[in-house]
Amino acid sequence: MVYCAGHSIISPLGEGSQANLEAVRAGRSGLKQYTDRFPSVEPFCASLFDTPQSFVPLCIKSVELAVTNVDLASSQTVFVLSTTKGDNLDLWTPAQTIARHFGNPNRPIVVSNACTSGVCAQITAKRLLDAGLYRHAVVVGCDIQSQFIVSGFQAFKALSPEPCLPFSPDRKGLNLGEAAATMVLTTEPRDGWCLETGSIHNDANHISAPSRTGEGAFQCLQDVLEGVSVSEIALLGVHGTATLYNDDMEKIAIQRAGLENVLVSALKPVFGHTMGAAGVLETIICALQATQSYSVNRTSFIIKMLSGFGGVNAAVRWRCE
Amino acid sequence: MEMRVSHEIEITPTSVILDGQPIAVNDTGEKMLVELYRRYVGDYPKFFKMDTLARLGFIAAEIVLKQQGQTCNSQQPTAIILANRSASIKNDTDYLATISDGNYYPSPALFVYTLPNIVTGEIAIRHHIQGETSFYVLDNPEQLEPIVQSTLATRHSPAVILTGWCECSEANMFNAKLQIIWNN
Amino acid sequence: MEQLIEQLKAQIIDALNFEDMTPADIETDAPLFGEGLGLDSIDALELIMLMDREYGIKLADPKAGKAIFQSVRTMAEYIQQHRTK
Repeated sequence: MVYCAGHSIISPLGEGSQANLEAVRAGRSGLKQYTDRFPSVEPFCASLFDTPQSFVPLCIKSVELAVTNVDLASSQTVFVLSTTKGDNLDLWTPAQTIARHFGNPNRPIVVSNACTSGVCAQITAKRLLDAGLYRHAVVVGCDIQSQFIVSGFQAFKALSPEPCLPFSPDRKGLNLGEAAATMVLTTEPRDGWCLETGSIHNDANHISAPSRTGEGAFQCLQDVLEGVSVSEIALLGVHGTATLYNDDMEKIAIQRAGLENVLVSALKPVFGHTMGAAGVLETIICALQATQSYSVNRTSFIIKMLSGFGGVNAAVRWRCE
Repeated sequence: MEMRVSHEIEITPTSVILDGQPIAVNDTGEKMLVELYRRYVGDYPKFFKMDTLARLGFIAAEIVLKQQGQTCNSQQPTAIILANRSASIKNDTDYLATISDGNYYPSPALFVYTLPNIVTGEIAIRHHIQGETSFYVLDNPEQLEPIVQSTLATRHSPAVILTGWCECSEANMFNAKLQIIWNN
Repeated sequence: MEQLIEQLKAQIIDALNFEDMTPADIETDAPLFGEGLGLDSIDALELIMLMDREYGIKLADPKAGKAIFQSVRTMAEYIQQHRTK
């Protein structure tokens, strides 16, 4: 079994998981209009740090904020970084710099599975821990926005000029965001959250267009529902990018999995699409929402799902107490 | 848990080695990948839309999976797990050229390949694989072994994994070493 | 017009990486999507960028592209009316 020993979120809305949860509860949003943040790009709406951040220091700060009694310098600890564009297109070197900063002797692992990376990184960490290869894993998700990313999403006509509206008939597209989030996972039993299972499936349909049947996302949900009943799911953290096709696809997958009556959490209107950070950040917020706000039971389960370019879908199930 | 490697392919800019036997090629570098496409595929024009990393992984998968015959169906859940050191840097550089000062026309067709996992998606589409697809950025190929082993040890582990190193740092600087691994 | 159509065919082949195709292989009135050339959603976005880059035409709404991208002829007609370069 794999337990959460500590977590943190740094976003434009604040530092620390609790500060970000409170921002969500207060209905705050990091989304703003930008006209001259990056050269040449059209005006856009996103959730960005007021002072531009550097990738490595932001990740380090995120790990420090998640401080636990886990020994980060131990050979029993592995760093797993989730990112799409890393530090100015370099993914491996910053991962190594972060691990070395904490005196960690192991080579880190970078998960680069498009927008599903943050959920896939949790799954990779769980497998390594379950196999007995390590006792602890530091899962860090981070992406910093740039001219590169914004221009590409604009060329894809995927950005909404206004704050995004997941699952709304009036939705016009997504907003990008930047953040760093960390979850420290351990095999040492402790109260709180337990990562029970995870699943990754490809649609095998198209490299950028979501499947019209939601096949990959449906198969992921089916896998992570094994062993629990739908009524035990307190919260489903959807991807909810607010693009026309993603939300349609997710709706179909959720209905096919029999989850249409489960409470959902869609966080992109608060944080934007934080790419490599999204899976980690949104899992933390969902778990906090389930344990601190919504749950009437002492024990509840949450599911976090994501989909991304390359046709990849992923989901994890956490037990939250 | 036991695993068995059934087939293996290695592609460099000047050579192709399938199950230990060299395959004769006339061209080198990117042209060699096109030569292999014409010899082994020929009827999949989407190949020419792919970036070099995706072409490399696609053609390596094509040749090695042909050796295997019928492997990929729902009775034998298949996963695709690839890794490299420099992510999608070659195509990232090509995309950057389309957003340069004074010549700003960002190409969506290039942008979509600025993620290294797109190659796993291309292989999944071609071979109708709806199992796991994962891409890791690692220091070296040896680092992938424990990741694959721990994937095979899970309860819903795939029966077959197409896995290995798939690296392309520049147009004519690439290497792939893919294996088909059976979970026995 | 005929000259524009020929030029456009060459630009489409180049932009969409149709490796084994020449302008003569593209029928002027054949549908670009679906049955005809079989273009997909990324190709549509690339055609929008081609219109901007080569002819200074900005298409903000991808849905508006449907009528324009019916065939090479409809594209050429639209370009002739709206080009800024």
